[in-house]
Amino acid sequence: MTKDEIIDKINTVLEEEFEVDKTLFLPDAPLMKTLDLDSLDLVDMVVLIEHNFGIVLKNSDFAGIKTFQDFYDFLHEKLNK
Amino acid sequence: MKVALVTGGSRGIGRACSVKLAEMGYYVLVNYQSNEAEANNTLSMIREKGWDGEIVRFDVSVKEEVENAISQWQESHPDTYIEVLVNNAGVRRDNLLVWMTDEDWSKVLDTSLNGFMYTTRAVLKGMLVKKYGRIVNMASLSGLKGLPGQTNYSAAKGAVIAATKALAQETAKKNVTVNAVAPGFIRTDMTQDLDEAQLKALIPMGHFGNPEDVAEVVGFLASKGACYVTGQVVSVNGGLYT
Repeated sequence: MTKDEIIDKINTVLEEEFEVDKTLFLPDAPLMKTLDLDSLDLVDMVVLIEHNFGIVLKNSDFAGIKTFQDFYDFLHEKLNK
Repeated sequence: MKVALVTGGSRGIGRACSVKLAEMGYYVLVNYQSNEAEANNTLSMIREKGWDGEIVRFDVSVKEEVENAISQWQESHPDTYIEVLVNNAGVRRDNLLVWMTDEDWSKVLDTSLNGFMYTTRAVLKGMLVKKYGRIVNMASLSGLKGLPGQTNYSAAKGAVIAATKALAQETAKKNVTVNAVAPGFIRTDMTQDLDEAQLKALIPMGHFGNPEDVAEVVGFLASKGACYVTGQVVSVNGGLYT
């Protein structure tokens, strides 16, 4: 999967799941705040990613992710390992 | 196919829960640890009534066994998921604390508390993905009130009650409810060494309960009708402790 394909897919999945317009998903925008997620919602995010991308995530994987760009970079690296 | 898993489903309350869930239309995975013959008897009771299920062996207190058994079952049934989980497996090793061995303490905690965690963790993601699930944990009067001679059992069941309330809040948005049932004195193999004649005098209803009395409540909590009930503990004890 190319990085653009990953970004396109994850944006669609996030928009559907969290009902936030994907035009707000700017690279520098804060991920959790934009999606209106709190720490309890993180499990939703983990389940969503595992289900759609077939990878297993740990809570700690999200520790360094602040922005959408961080998230895209993380997924790209994880999927291409 | 709607699927339910009942840990410790071979006898007593677990058997009654398995039969009840089968009656409700579930394909029931009857878990057992050692008594295959009794697990098969539970399955026969289900099949005699025209319902279906299968027996699944694993020790709930051994993480690898739980994870392997559930992941193998899930891999061979990719089109469905376990939507109801009854964490029923438990053991008693009663003794006054001053004489309690490390082994008896750990055995009870490992089975009731760790068993709850390992099994729930193994099935929870499926429920979250599907945005529907029912988890019912078998607690006990001992976990609410504390009973002398059962510090290990009281600790384990009290912890399960607390975990029930915490997990319920983690999963509520995904329509996964988590509740506990706290039986009092119920006629099973686990209570056959108790003096029923003496103890029933303490019970306002004047008698021990039957496993089916508990299964009825479990059935309700596992039903779609219980959609707005989560994080609760329902006592089934004939009025013994309110």
